[in-house]
Amino acid sequence: MSLTELRPASHRPAPPPKNVRTRSWLHRFDNKTAPYIFISPFFILFGIFGVFPLIFNGVVAVRNWRLDDPTLTGWAGLDNFNRLLSDEDFWNALGNTFGIFILSTVPQLLIALVIANLLNRKLRGNTFWRIGILLPYLTPVVASTLVFAIFFARDNGMANWFLSLVGFGQETPLDWRAQKWSAWIAIATMVNWKWIGYNALLYLSAMQAIPRDVYEAAAVDGAGPWRQLWRITVPMIQPVVVFTVILSTIGGLQLFNEPMMFDENPQSASGGSAHQFQTIAQLIYKVGWKDLDLGYAAAMSWALFLIILIVAGINTLLTRRIGGDR
Amino acid sequence: MRRTLGVVAAGLAATLVVAGCSGRDLESDNKSEGGSGEQITLKVAFWGDMGLDNLKAAYEKEHPNVKIVLNSGEFNAQHEDLQKKLVAGSGAPDISAVDEGFIVQFRNQADKFVNLLDKGAGEFESKYLDWKWKASQSADGKQIGLGTDVGGLAMCYRSDLFEKAGLPKDRDAVSKLWTNWDDFIKVGQEYTKKTGKKFIDSGTNMFNPVLAQQPVGFYDEQENLQMNGGPKVAFDVSMKAIDAGISANLASFQPNWNQGFKKDQFAVLACPAWMLGHIQETAPDQKGKWDIASIPGGGGNWGGSWWTVPSQGKNIDAAVDFVKWMVQPAQQIEVFKTVGNLPSQPDLYKDPAVLDYKKEFMSNAPTGQIFAATAANLKPQYLGKKNGPTRVAVENVITRVQQGGLKSDAAWAEAVKQAEKVAKTGKA
Repeated sequence: MSLTELRPASHRPAPPPKNVRTRSWLHRFDNKTAPYIFISPFFILFGIFGVFPLIFNGVVAVRNWRLDDPTLTGWAGLDNFNRLLSDEDFWNALGNTFGIFILSTVPQLLIALVIANLLNRKLRGNTFWRIGILLPYLTPVVASTLVFAIFFARDNGMANWFLSLVGFGQETPLDWRAQKWSAWIAIATMVNWKWIGYNALLYLSAMQAIPRDVYEAAAVDGAGPWRQLWRITVPMIQPVVVFTVILSTIGGLQLFNEPMMFDENPQSASGGSAHQFQTIAQLIYKVGWKDLDLGYAAAMSWALFLIILIVAGINTLLTRRIGGDR
Repeated sequence: MRRTLGVVAAGLAATLVVAGCSGRDLESDNKSEGGSGEQITLKVAFWGDMGLDNLKAAYEKEHPNVKIVLNSGEFNAQHEDLQKKLVAGSGAPDISAVDEGFIVQFRNQADKFVNLLDKGAGEFESKYLDWKWKASQSADGKQIGLGTDVGGLAMCYRSDLFEKAGLPKDRDAVSKLWTNWDDFIKVGQEYTKKTGKKFIDSGTNMFNPVLAQQPVGFYDEQENLQMNGGPKVAFDVSMKAIDAGISANLASFQPNWNQGFKKDQFAVLACPAWMLGHIQETAPDQKGKWDIASIPGGGGNWGGSWWTVPSQGKNIDAAVDFVKWMVQPAQQIEVFKTVGNLPSQPDLYKDPAVLDYKKEFMSNAPTGQIFAATAANLKPQYLGKKNGPTRVAVENVITRVQQGGLKSDAAWAEAVKQAEKVAKTGKA
């Protein structure tokens, strides 16, 4: 455009092109509708595989739906949820789930933080350590759990061998599956082993974004490494901490594979002879596909959904507070 | 513009293809392949080893248009999978084995299976043990399965370990050591005292065979839980064995149990005929070390299966033909010889091919004679709809005693409580 052409626009409207209507329609389509079509595959798939099952599950939860007795059918209202309140198996499973959840999440995130902090320093062979710490995460959970199940075996298990080195349980080896506390520890160990490296890498990547001069200033002011970790690093990576806390809350409350494979008789899904380590996810599976009571299982999974929402919310609030939220 | 539309269309098409193709692929399996006649694929689901490898080859040779795919999975998983597929309405195997613990559950859904009487299976009725024939029949007389084997009971033992412990090695002499379960436990105590090793694999493997010997199991024919009859007798025997300290406390069919075989952690194993296949599979290098004696307390039935044809299949007639062929005497004897499963047609117990057969793996024990004799004593037991879960619940209580979490004198009350819980949820 040149200055010489700066004259007023003609009042006469330009002669309408023959196909202006089509063109403007196409233009509008291109601008307004096409983007939605481009992203529609996600929403269509999400609708089919995400929203629909969720809603359908809600419908099943208020119905009688028994595969072993097709005559028992129809609306159940809130019966399934009422039954939940007085079901001692459910509360037992809830207790187990929270026990294992706390035993696994707390040490897992703390150790991950310390490891990430170590890896964040100048180290020889940085990449080697960083890849090495992710390796447990790459192992299929079934494979690693099988190995741990042997590790925690009563006869000839490595864990008991270690214990016997310090003079414990030589007469009667510890049956890890028999007691709540020992089974919980064994399962939490499996979870920790798998997820520490993953969380450490997340923390590490966030830590790398913290400017160095903050630490230098802190060091000048006389803050030691621990103080720096808690007063600078953790607050500055707080969004990632919140993220990992939510992730491990969801994962921890849905724990299924580890207790399942740890059981001596995995097919019964009973989580030990007295349900010592039966988690809610396992109980849902058992009620749904062993007892073939799908309505009740659906009610349980809705309950679990609500519990996860509540716990994740509480955890987020707590983490924000710990992180010294502004 | 045209390009935009083209890309969108391609994207949508790709999505649809991804979403739709898996289902179509599965179905095309059963349709004709190529143009040469009708090629049929039959999928057969079972667990463990049912001795079908040779049969499959023979049948395919006779029927060039039939291809048989064998799918052996885990015992419970196969039954649950079948149940899910029946409800879903598609995906079930063409032929599925069903065990006695599950047959009641499935015969209550008889409309989901082919009624074999419609396919001319009625002619087989006279050949079968009467109770075996009836067990796979629905209340309105539909026959959903043809019997494969029955689980006549015997006691397998490690003759080499017996010898080391100063016990007799010969199978007749061993049989004379125990006529009842009390004697059996005494022999076990003697063995444990001499060798420092455990005698039996687990308390649950005492409970199950003793229960199998009782006239009434967990449920009577009106589906009422009957804990004070057979279950109480069996439970007491298993408690006595655990208190005597002769149990290695290994959960059956699990990794530790398999390891227990290899480490000689137990010397005897209650042995329905089908267990021979398991032993052979689990401890192949113990050939000639095992032998078979009679079981304390006489006969009894533990296990045994049926072949069923889910009605959702596409090649029902071919599937029925194969099942009919499999239950013919020649094939039944073949299975008996390869894996030891005892046929459920009594005529075969008199067949020289069965009677004269000696199992090399089991120190040349005449398995035909042994199991044919126990089969004659078979007292069929009614197994309720909830028999499987009830058994698991009671087995769990036994395991708790073994793990030390429960005293044996408090265990019975707990077992009753757990069993009643299962029975109740079944009716809710």
